[in-house]
Formats: sequence, structure tokens, C-alpha cells
Amino acid sequence: MIPARYQPPLPLDRLLLPVGAPGAGDRMELDVLIVGAGPAGLACAIELAHLAQRDRTDVNIGVLEKAEALGEHSLSGAVVNPRAFRELFPDVKDADFPFRGPVERERVALLTARRAFTLPTPPTMHNAGNYVASLCEIVRWLGERATALGVNLFTGFPAASLLVNGRRVMGVRTTATGLDREGGRLSNYMAPNDLLAKVTALAEGTRGSLSQAWLDWQGVTSENPQIFALGVKEIWETKRPLDAIVHTLGWPIPTDAFGGSFMYPLEPKLVALGLVVGLDYRDAALDVHELLQRMKRHPLFRRHLEGGELVEWGAKTIPEGGYYAVPARRSGDGVVILGDSAGFVDVPSLKGIHYAMQSGMFAARAIYAGLRAGDASAAGLAEYDRLVNASFIMSDLYRTRNMRLAFKDGFYVGGVKAGLMTVTGGRFPGRKIAVEPDANVERTLTPGASPGITPDRRHTLSKVDGVFKSGNATRDTIPKHLVIGSDVPAAVAEFYAHMCPAGVYEVVQGALRVNAPNCVDCKATDVLGPRWTPREGGSGPKYKRM
Amino acid sequence: MKIAVCIKRVPDSETRVKIAADGKSLDEAGVKFILNPYDEFAVEEALRQKEKAGAGEVVVIALGPPAAQETIRTALAMGADRGVLLQTQGLHADGLETARALAAELKDNEFDLILLGKMAIDDYNHQVGPMVAELLDLPCVTTVAHLEIAAGKATAEREIEGGVEVVEFSLPAVLTTDKGLNEPRYPALKGIMAAKKKPLEVKPTTPGPGALAIVSLTLPPERQAGKIVGEGSAAVAELVRLLREEAKVL
Amino acid sequence: MSNVLAVLEQRDGALRKVSHEVVTGARRLADALSGNVDALILAAGPARGADQLGRFGADKVITLTNAAFGMYAPEGYAGAIAARVTGGGYGAVVFAASATGKDLAPRVAARLGRPLAQDITDLAVDGGAVTLTRPVYAGKALLRLRVVGTPAVISLRPNVFTPVERPKAGTQESAAVAGPAGRVVVKEIKAAEAGMLDVAEAPIVVSGGRGLKEPANFRVLEELAAAFAGRAAVGASRAVVDAGWRPHADQVGQTGKTVSPTLYVAVGISGAIQHLAGMRTSKVIVAINKDKDAPIFKVADYGIVGDLFEVVPKLTEEIKKLRG
Repeated sequence: MIPARYQPPLPLDRLLLPVGAPGAGDRMELDVLIVGAGPAGLACAIELAHLAQRDRTDVNIGVLEKAEALGEHSLSGAVVNPRAFRELFPDVKDADFPFRGPVERERVALLTARRAFTLPTPPTMHNAGNYVASLCEIVRWLGERATALGVNLFTGFPAASLLVNGRRVMGVRTTATGLDREGGRLSNYMAPNDLLAKVTALAEGTRGSLSQAWLDWQGVTSENPQIFALGVKEIWETKRPLDAIVHTLGWPIPTDAFGGSFMYPLEPKLVALGLVVGLDYRDAALDVHELLQRMKRHPLFRRHLEGGELVEWGAKTIPEGGYYAVPARRSGDGVVILGDSAGFVDVPSLKGIHYAMQSGMFAARAIYAGLRAGDASAAGLAEYDRLVNASFIMSDLYRTRNMRLAFKDGFYVGGVKAGLMTVTGGRFPGRKIAVEPDANVERTLTPGASPGITPDRRHTLSKVDGVFKSGNATRDTIPKHLVIGSDVPAAVAEFYAHMCPAGVYEVVQGALRVNAPNCVDCKATDVLGPRWTPREGGSGPKYKRM
Repeated sequence: MKIAVCIKRVPDSETRVKIAADGKSLDEAGVKFILNPYDEFAVEEALRQKEKAGAGEVVVIALGPPAAQETIRTALAMGADRGVLLQTQGLHADGLETARALAAELKDNEFDLILLGKMAIDDYNHQVGPMVAELLDLPCVTTVAHLEIAAGKATAEREIEGGVEVVEFSLPAVLTTDKGLNEPRYPALKGIMAAKKKPLEVKPTTPGPGALAIVSLTLPPERQAGKIVGEGSAAVAELVRLLREEAKVL
Repeated sequence: MSNVLAVLEQRDGALRKVSHEVVTGARRLADALSGNVDALILAAGPARGADQLGRFGADKVITLTNAAFGMYAPEGYAGAIAARVTGGGYGAVVFAASATGKDLAPRVAARLGRPLAQDITDLAVDGGAVTLTRPVYAGKALLRLRVVGTPAVISLRPNVFTPVERPKAGTQESAAVAGPAGRVVVKEIKAAEAGMLDVAEAPIVVSGGRGLKEPANFRVLEELAAAFAGRAAVGASRAVVDAGWRPHADQVGQTGKTVSPTLYVAVGISGAIQHLAGMRTSKVIVAINKDKDAPIFKVADYGIVGDLFEVVPKLTEEIKKLRG
């Protein structure tokens, strides 16, 4: 089975609208509109405000965020490289950044079903000088800084469509609020808003809908298609303290799939752990949530979790394509694309947050120069691409350009190749490894090959329990936000049910059932199956310390 | 119509309660704070009454920490005209002290209507509104689920056990609002923009110590393993007895 | 030694049942304070049931009458009670945390310049001081308080202080109270329509699932809810909502409403996690299901294995008896 065959195309008619299209309520004009209050978008807003402050000019900046409150849709590991923080806030000491603590000890282990073998830490994975952090907390902290600088933060307003005129991006239209399942208006209905700006910065995070639509519309491609991984993460209050950051490879991930786990101490007895698996896996019954549940029974994890309590659960995809998957340009007429939406993630070092922030800061400088010169055209904003290309963002990604791709051949072959790449500084194998989109990878459903687990609800939990722990309390009656392909056969439905960590898809009597309100916006569905589109503001998870 | 709305910043209803190290308060780490949901009804009703009257002012007043400014901004984004933060560190258990601080702010301002949520979803005190009314010597109706005001004469409905009380009163008055009174509006984008420019006055306030000392804050005992009372309708009598005598819920 | 004033409630001239709980709670306090219980009734004339209060521990029953006291008169009541407390030197004043009590107690407390602890679930006297327990954060935590000074003003959560017979003299006393009823006037009481409570707010929720077999059978649950006299709402599992049997507004569960009633009765619901997520914080859970292995029994405090079409009507009958 090839998932792409059952996947509907991007709904471009919804994602791109001519400016002035009917149906909007309020209309607002800004100088710069940023879509997404994550590390990229907020760093962009803060840098812009800094520049305006420096020159005593007034730049009207707005940031749209789909989550009800800042940080509630943000999820990462995370071990953070502080360099972008230091550059953005030269007057703030490391100790005052919103980090939980420096990495003091680190360990990489290869797991078998029962044992753990400590490996030498690969050079790309050294974390000396980096900090353990919660992305939710980082985002809230950045949000406070931005607000103090006069940036307008609009939480609970997802961007539904790009507003365009000719080739130029003019702004976005937000989603409507207060619709029932059939699209009828409830008493608290609020019409969509049109926000128009000289420059729109798309910082939607992983698998951004508007970013995809713009790249598709403008025919901007990359050398390789972007590929993704799905991470499922939990936060636990534990009885036994953890004093090191731990990464594992191997079990329970099958050898023909790429991935690994992490376990980080936010506090000695507050532990974040998760499992990340590339979405190019072959077994259609592979289920990342279930693998994570199984993994927690391993002595390495069990030791810490026993007697503890799960306090949060969440899931998110990660763009893993690296250097060759970055779009040829990330700027156009009136628009730039930042952070994860542009694919600025280095998988071998498991880093993305500082690249996202740095890309936001570069974008801010290019935008600011463009505004001052009265040129927000593609030519004016191309400075952003130049800044990124000449920076550590692209040189870091270039050094590890083939490492993730090598694992297309499975774990062991990939491991050997990655070792050679490290030794040769990225020169091995001397050419680009070509990959195909995740949805084009053939899947095989072997009935009974992946026995499910029965959650004990103390250490292991079901998907719906997970959704509960994500804080998701999405109204049951919102219009469906997932675009499903027609005629989904039972085997594909089963593939979806395993793929989605939030139990959105179920197979009921051989047919696909869609529990759309369960969705936690991880976007895995958009990579491999039904398309995700923005829904009513404030829907989805409410992460607190993810 | 000049209307005051007293609001409170409270932990979100989904908050997972963890007790702080002092054993007397909530550990606020990772806790999200919101505008008390019952106060949203009060803000919404104030806006509707002002809109109906065609003119007037809606003033939101909060007693709380500096961060309660955000809560006030939420109400301003909904459409209130200005805010006052009676800034204090740490609220205590005695609602009368809260009422005294609010009444002191309200007393010389000649409001036609003073609205509060029926209770806050953190301390469940359920008392500040009528106490404010007593301190200001104003008529008061609590837990209002329906309201009609015409020419200074007003009728309210409030739910009581097994029915609805229909209450008449005159303005000025203090009302506490219940769910069902209205459907609070979402702040609009323009409202959020406008809220940043609306006046918000911060007044340092030191409420009295109160006369309720907190002994402890604890988690309730964990649910014990259940029991099968029996099979079929024969078990019903025993079930009812257990619900009455053991569980004490009937 | 100090006495305790128990403020009781009447409707249509008859004492409400919760009054026995108030006297019981007041008796417990008075015993600990080595004092007497004075039960106070505000009414238009003699109240039916006043003669029963001695049984539950009232040393004295005082009826204050005023032509305007037939209906609840917030300001008139508050003034009369405050005057009585001030004149009587009471160590504690006890109300019911009913709709009326929660309205009245703060008024009286404010007039006395005393703090109020509403909706308490436990009380004690410790070193001469009254200590109280009250649920906070939607019942997710319990707050214990010590009252500094006297009198302690408290209201008792209904259904918690089960009436206990403690025969005392119950001497009857009556006095007319002068003065107007106040500026807030209760004109009438409209009886509640059945089913007007929201599942998210009802103190009792009776929920049905696929075990009901067809939409019309929800009638048995509606009858059970009705037996709780306006305190119960009918909820539903996602399965039956998705099947179109019940409206979405009634759905309890992860994607429906989260409820924390005092009593949750799950009827013909297997107990999918998605459902449990919405009701696991209920105080007491009762499950009625014909499958003894249904997961709902793992979270239920009390379970009955059996045919719901036999069990539920019998339960309705028993509840009616209790209420009658």
C-alpha cells in the first residue's frame, strides 16, 4: 500500500484566497504579520521591535497564534543551544533565560528488549553548554518579552488562508469561530478576520499549511522532498531522580525504521521522555504511541517511572529532511518562511529551536530593511535567504546533510554510513542521497505482527487517555477540519489508526471513523493521510510544560 | 449606565492541583491563569446592559497580584472601558477582607450596577458579592440567571432547589452572575488591539489579615476500590442504603 | 461555653429537610463547645415541623415572624438574624449551603463583621477554636481553616451532615419582628421544569450508553432523574450521541462535557476511557451493567450487575420513596 494514493491534495482553494474575497468580518492593517507564536515567530517579532526601538521608529507588529494561550501548542524535547538567545538578548544572563538547567551529564544507550548498552556519545550529540528546557515555557517567556516591546499577540486566532494579489502575499484570513458541525452559526459566532500587512512571516511550525500552500503555488521546490518524524512525549513526576540526559537507539523501534528516544530531567523528579520515529517506516501497523508505552516498561525507564505519575502527554512531527529539503527560497513578494516551516532542523544533533529563533531574527533584519527601503518585494526580502545561507544554520545542516537520509537503508547500515559521514565531516558518500516523500513509501500490513498493548493506566496509557492528558478539550461540535480521501479501504484505515497518536482514526466494522476533536495538531495525518486544516481558535491541546 | 464589574484571576479549571511546599497553598508551577468563568458572565452582562442603555461606562476592578493586569486586559478586550487593579500580594481565605477592599474602591463612584461572578472557581468562597452589597448598603441579588432592567426597576431570576425565584429590586444594586445568564463573547481582534490602549490604573492595596487561618491544603483521599453490590433489582435496596449511609450522597 | 445558632429554612411554611442537617451540624459544634443549640426559623407564622427539631438536638426553637417572611426576604432575614446573634452572644452561627443559605450567610457575616466559611464538609473544635474543612479547586483539594475569634459563621454542604437523632428539649419560642422586608423582594417561585439542569452542573448525573438499546428507552433514565426532584440531569455516552439518540449537549466524556457531580450513575455504559475521562472526578460513581467485566466497574464505587430495564425502575421507585 502506498499512502499517497489515498491522500487528498492540498486544499489550495481554501488555503489561498484573493485579497478582498467576501466573508470576512473585521479587517486590520499591520506593518508585519507573523503567523505562529513559536520560537521563530516570537524571535522575529522581538528582533523587529528591537530594531524599531533602536531607530525610534514605529513598526506595527502582530503575531497570530492558533493556541488559546501562548505555548499551548508548542512541544519539543528539548535540549536547547542558547546561542540565539544570547544574540537576541545580549543583556540577559544565561541564568535568566527560561531554561530548566544546564546539561551536566549525558548518556547514549542502545536498547534491546531487556538491556541497555551504553554507547560512546556520537560527536553530533554532544550537549555540553546546552540547556534542558520546556518549549512551552520558552514560548511564554518570549511572549512576555514581545508584549513588553509593544508587539500585538493574538492568541486563539489560527490563520486559515493566505490573502494574495497576483504573486504577492497581502496577509491572512483567520478561521471563523462559533460554527456547528454543519457550518451553521452559533450564538457566539465570530466571522473570520482579514489581517493585511506589508510583510507576512509564516512561522507555523512543522508542516505549516500556509507555508505548504505558498511553496506549492509559487512552484518553489527543494532538492529532496521534506520528510518527517513523529514524536510522542510524556512528562512524569517521578520518585527516583534523573541526573543526566539520556538518548536511546534500537528497541522498541524495528530495524527498518529510523528513530530513538529521549529522557531529560526538567527537575530532578520531573522527567520529560519521548519516542521519535521517522514517518518513512515500512510496517503499516507501526504505532509510535504504543511503542512508547512498551518502551516505558524497559528497566532503563521503568526504574524512574515506577511509582511516579504521568502529568502531561503530547505529540508533534519534526521536519527531518535537513539540508536538501530546505526550500530553494524562503522568501517571496510580501512573505518569508521561518523555522520548522522552512525545515531548519538538524536531526543528528536533535536541534531546531535555536535555528528557528535565528531564522526569525534574520527575517526581522531583512523585513526591517525592506520596510525602510519601501521594498517588501521578493527582491527586497531575498536578503533573508542570503542571511540564512551565509549563517551557521545552513553550514550546520550541510555538515550533516546525508546522515538522516542514510537511515533509509535501515538502522545498522545507516549507523555505519552516519559514522563515516561524521569522520569525513559530511563528505561521505560524496553525493546527495535521494529520498521520496514519506507518503510514497510502500507500507505492508502484516496482521498480528504488532500486538497492541493493554494499558494499565499507571505506567502505560491509551491514546484517549493521552489526549485527555494533553489538555485537549476541543468542542465536540466544531466543523470537521480533516480532509479525508474518498474510498479509504479498510487496510488504509487501519494504517491511519496506528499512525495517529491521538486516536483520531478508528476502524469500525471495516470502515474509517474520524474523531476529529481528539486531534492534537501533530500533523502526522497531513504527512501520510488525511489533510489537516486550521480549525476554530483555541482548539487542540493545552500543553503546559512540553 | 455606569457599571462596575469585579473580576478575579484564577487557575484554569483544568488545573492539576499540586500542593505547595508550605502545605497550605497551590503550587503554581505550570499553572495557567484565566479570568474566572463566572466573572465572564458578569463582564458580558455589563457590556450588554451598557449597549442597551446606549451610553455609559464599564469599569473592571480586580484585587490580585501584578499578573492580574492580564486578566483585566481580557475584560477590556471583551469591551470594558477601563480597569483598576487593587494590587496585593497573596490573597487569603477571608472573603470579607476581599469585599472590604472592593467596597472601598467602589463606594464613592456611584455605579448604577455592580456585577460579580457568583463565585471564583479556585476558593469557592461564594460570598464576596453580597458582602460588598452589605458594606455599601445596596440591594443585592445573587446567582442571577436571567435579568431584565427597565426604568430603574429590575427583575432577576435565580435558581433554587427545585425551582426558580423571581426577584424584584431597584437600582443601584449588586448582582452576582450565574451560568445561563448570557453567552460571553470572545474578544475580537480589534478589541484586543484596543484593550492595550485603555486605561488601567494600579493601586497598591493591603487587605486586612482576616479571621480565617489556613491550617492546611491537602489532596482528597484517593478513590477506594469499588464493590459490586449485587445482581439484578434485588440489589437496589442495598445500593440505596449504601448511597445514603456510606457514601452520604442521597 | 458558648451556644450555637442554627438558621433553618422553610418553604411555604414547612421546614425544609436540610434543616435537620443544620441542627445536626450545630449540635456537633455545641457539644464540642459545651453549649446549647438554638434553632432559628424565619417565617410568616408558626412553621410546620418546628416541633420535630428537639429530636435532632435543638435545645430551643425560636420562630421570628413577620408578614413579609413567608417568602425569602434577604435583607429582612439578614437584619433579624444579625440582631439575634449580636444580642445572644453566640459562639457560632450555622446555615445550610443551599441556594438560600449561600445568599443569606454572607449578608449576615458582613453585618457581623465576621468571616464566613461556605459549603463546609467537616467541622471540629480544636483548642477552643472552630476548625472547618471545605473543598476548593472543584473538589480537587481540601482546605482546612481555623476561625479566629467569635462567632464562627459557617454554612454546611447539603447531604453531608446526615441527620442524627439527639433528643433535647426543643422548647418553642416565638417573637414578631418589626420592620420592612427590604429592597429585594421575592415575587414568586416558579417550579423547575424537568431536565432543565445542565449535565456539567447538575449535582446528580444519570448517564446512558448503548446498553439502552434504542433512543426511546432513555425514558427510564429520565424517570430516574426526575425522582431526584430537580437535582439530576440525564447524560449520554459518545456512542449514543454519535448514533443520534441524544443531543451533543448531553455528552459526557473526553470530547463532550467533563462533569464532577456528587453522584454519577452510569447505566448501560461499558466505560470506554473516553467516557471515564469526562466523569472520573465524580464524588460517587454507580454503575449498572449486565456485563460483569465491563471496565466501568473498575472505577465505580458501587456496581450492580444486571438488566438495566429491571434495575433502573426499581432504583427510581426507591429514590421516590426516600424523597416522599
